[in-house]
Amino acid sequence: MGDFRAGERVRVRAGDPAGHTRVPRYVRGQVGRIVESQGRWALADEVAAGVAEPRVEAVYTVAFAARDLWGEGDHEVTVDLWESYIERARRAEA
Amino acid sequence: MSRVNDVGGQTGFGALRIEADEPPFHADWEARVFALNSVLVRNGVYRLDEFRDAVERMDPRQYLATSYYERWLIAIETLLAERKVLADG
Repeated sequence: MGDFRAGERVRVRAGDPAGHTRVPRYVRGQVGRIVESQGRWALADEVAAGVAEPRVEAVYTVAFAARDLWGEGDHEVTVDLWESYIERARRAEA
Repeated sequence: MSRVNDVGGQTGFGALRIEADEPPFHADWEARVFALNSVLVRNGVYRLDEFRDAVERMDPRQYLATSYYERWLIAIETLLAERKVLADG
């Protein structure tokens, strides 16, 4: 996982964590496109849970087609997502 | 499970009210709550993501019945009580 490049297709993990997360429900399980890296940041889920030394991971801006999320709309929706929220999309999904 | 704050894409909350020339704060107490939170985060009493978590941990009925900065104040009180900075009650 990780080291994604602009243009790569990724799927957002579908899990629904018990605590704080920065994954909006509407992108879970969805396939999007890496736009750019935003550098490395402490994983918000672990910071929120009080972990003393939270994981530091790459954060990516990921673009989704509004139509994929809501069935309508011709625009894109971009969400900044930590590396552990996403995985490389399978070839058939890309 | 998904919390009450995660309403993106949901309907039923009415239209967004967009104010022309909206001020940063609608009342002085809101500015004080904003400043208080900044001071507490900068002094390491809690971290910003812990604050966001505290907002999301609110009772959903209370969350939906309160304004933006009322939620901030409730979350600040929750965290200060949990860290024994404030006495219970």
